[in-house]
Amino acid sequence: MEPQDKKTSNKSTALHDLHVKAKARMVPFGGWSMPVSYEGTLAEHRTVREQCGLFDVSHMGEIEVKGPEATAFLQHMTINDIAKLKDGQGQYTAMLKPDGGMIDDLIIYRITDSAYFLCVNASNSEKDFAWLVDNRGKFNVTITNESNQWSQLAIQGPNSKAALGHLLGPADRARFDRQEYMTMSAVRLFGRACWIARTGYTGEHGYELYMPNEIAVNCWVALLETTHTTGIKPIGLAARDTLRLEACYLLYGNDMDDTVSPLEAGIGWAVKLTKEGFIGKSALLTQKENGLKRKIQAFRMTGDGIPRQGMPCLSTDGRVIGKVTSGSVLPTVGGAGGMALIDAGFREGEEFLVDVRGKTKSAKIAKRPLYSAKVK
Amino acid sequence: MHFDFLNGASKMSLPANLKYTKDHEWITTGGGDAKIGVTAYAVEQLGDIVHIELPEVGKSYAAGDSFGTIESTKTVSDLYMPVACKVTEVNKAITKKPESLQADAYDGGWLIKVQMTNPGDVGGLLSADAYQKFISEQ
Repeated sequence: MEPQDKKTSNKSTALHDLHVKAKARMVPFGGWSMPVSYEGTLAEHRTVREQCGLFDVSHMGEIEVKGPEATAFLQHMTINDIAKLKDGQGQYTAMLKPDGGMIDDLIIYRITDSAYFLCVNASNSEKDFAWLVDNRGKFNVTITNESNQWSQLAIQGPNSKAALGHLLGPADRARFDRQEYMTMSAVRLFGRACWIARTGYTGEHGYELYMPNEIAVNCWVALLETTHTTGIKPIGLAARDTLRLEACYLLYGNDMDDTVSPLEAGIGWAVKLTKEGFIGKSALLTQKENGLKRKIQAFRMTGDGIPRQGMPCLSTDGRVIGKVTSGSVLPTVGGAGGMALIDAGFREGEEFLVDVRGKTKSAKIAKRPLYSAKVK
Repeated sequence: MHFDFLNGASKMSLPANLKYTKDHEWITTGGGDAKIGVTAYAVEQLGDIVHIELPEVGKSYAAGDSFGTIESTKTVSDLYMPVACKVTEVNKAITKKPESLQADAYDGGWLIKVQMTNPGDVGGLLSADAYQKFISEQ
């Protein structure tokens, strides 16, 4: 059980009191009370692009799948091919309903060939856990929802390696210095076993640190103590959203849900249709054969107006072609833009309109991503 | 403006010569065309202001009508008319550089000038002290 925020009845992370003391603006998000901003979204966004940002992402869910048939089970449950993973490697993937709609997107890390660590969305963690358990069938696996035990910090930006490296002992440090993108390694921090993944949701070089709740405050404070050399500062969820949007990382609940397939969401690269049957595969094959009717596209506004989630998109002759799934100002890219789920016929460079509270504003389909990630 | 996330008033001095609304607009009272803007408190609560949408000159409004929007990185809020009036001028400098509102919500940060239908209407608005009391209770 996590402590409950008295005012909102949302769950609180282990760092809640530190956020409040730092005068963060706290908001309910996915059932949690989370910091949305500290000094201001634009300044925080810039800190991550230019120096280093520290995010409390303890609301994210963690599920462990263990057992002799763990590999076969997860192959059945997910769209990507985990047979390709070596120990310590991670992979972006998704779980589907039989009709191809997305239950969640997630990262699977292979610890060994019989133990996997799944990082899932906060608001979906209980649904995901139930979905895995309900579909276990005859697979010989043990599924554990570890979300309540783990805190998670994201350390993101050009100076993230220096900031996190500072906390590590010599042996861990040597491995950390060589750690590749989309891998995870075991380290010891404050006497406890932790995981460092070289992953993130900002488009910058960065890490996600999984630690037991008991040492979350120690890690947070120790990371911020490197600010004189790394410029690291705490970053809220609002900047996390503008950062991920520029990098065109999807957000479950905005850009896709259980009515959108991974092909429509534009993550077809993670779908391995050559893989033996997985839940949702036949629906995807049918969708591919018939051709996609709609697709998530990145776009930028060509004049004024800021697009927001849910705003209708129109062709230049006034026909409704879809809706904005995520929209905002784009602090690094410039101007405003986002992602929209629109008729698949629209191509990069094509103009369309966004209905911004009753006024149509011009937009153009842009190359995805809007900001080229520097993660590798 | 309406906020769903106001959380405590900060210590900021409010110009005593202005009148205020519970929707966080201010209006000048000096005679002639009145200037209308939003309070520094509201601006602080909104965070980074990225866009301001204002009406065209010549449009008429009743008190309480929405006359535009103010948009921060995460929120869009409506702007409400403190009094019945007709718009006579729009501050183009502020729509071009909306972030400047954060440094100056009262002088250079005026949004529109209006001709009031009934100049006596400002009497029904909040004084600086009453508005200060209102935001301190938020």
